[in-house]
Amino acid sequence: MKVRKVIRILHRDIGYIAFALTIIYSISGIAVNHSDDWNPNYSITKDTLIIPSSINLQASSKDLPKKIIEIFQIKDSIKSSFKSSPVTIDIYFNKKTLSVNLKKRIAILEKVESRTLLRESNFLHLNNPKKIWTWVADIFAVSLILLAVTGLFMIKGKNGIKGRGKWLTLLGILIPLFFLYLYF
Amino acid sequence: MKILYKVLTIIFLFTIINFASDGKKYGKEITLKEKTKISEILKNPAAFEGKRVLVEGTVIGVCEKRGCWIRLAGDKDYESIRVKVRDGEIVFPLEAKGKKALVEGKIYSFVTKAKKKKGTKKDDKECEIEGTQKRIYQIKGIGAIIK
Repeated sequence: MKVRKVIRILHRDIGYIAFALTIIYSISGIAVNHSDDWNPNYSITKDTLIIPSSINLQASSKDLPKKIIEIFQIKDSIKSSFKSSPVTIDIYFNKKTLSVNLKKRIAILEKVESRTLLRESNFLHLNNPKKIWTWVADIFAVSLILLAVTGLFMIKGKNGIKGRGKWLTLLGILIPLFFLYLYF
Repeated sequence: MKILYKVLTIIFLFTIINFASDGKKYGKEITLKEKTKISEILKNPAAFEGKRVLVEGTVIGVCEKRGCWIRLAGDKDYESIRVKVRDGEIVFPLEAKGKKALVEGKIYSFVTKAKKKKGTKKDDKECEIEGTQKRIYQIKGIGAIIK
């Protein structure tokens, strides 16, 4: 079998296997690239609520969390609560936190929603699972190297590595070098 | 087709076992048996510096961006301690808020200098206090179970 044929078969079959992971890693890559501007894993919303002046709440009251959720008509069941100061209390629900300031008579309701698929992609991309996944990710990385190298020698002729391909490859090498020169 | 059924059965059993376990584990296995009260640590943190402890408390805060720390409520009102883990080594989910956590780690400290506020003459004294150095004690998390 000719070398180029082997290269083509390798490139094709590795490409099929690497397809899903390449998509996952690329999407996650874009997401975490912009982590200064947004949270790539969660969507967090905060609403400010006002405690009506007609209601008198005692910080020492044992059933304070229950009374607070009655005021705001929150139907979720309370997971736990924590008094961070004599006038502040945090009440925890499933994926929600109500932070109440009794002195200022305001409450912040924070809702946390997981970004479906994106969070799972980030979980894999950032190697959070560790263990065997580390090996899977390493094999994937080697596969990408193989895809890159075999990609260079897929075709011959004027569009191959000896023709147009060499200039485009050179351009690809110059891009990181330029930014290294600029920022490093 | 038979292989597919076998694979699906293994995944199903693995999921059942995973969910049936007593809480989700993070990081290394917990080895200590005896718990230390957070209030005890905060009473005299210097005495615990460098020591390995096992603490339990409600998760009242989670690092939003990287999941690299959690804050645990103490056994007394208004008290809490932060558990910091190496970035990426353990990632705590935001859903952990309000849940009970059992954490093993080492007490350590660092000195921080609070930012000085732009103050008026009236609150000059307050600025002086804010500008002073502060020693913060926290736990370097090794392993955790969140229930």
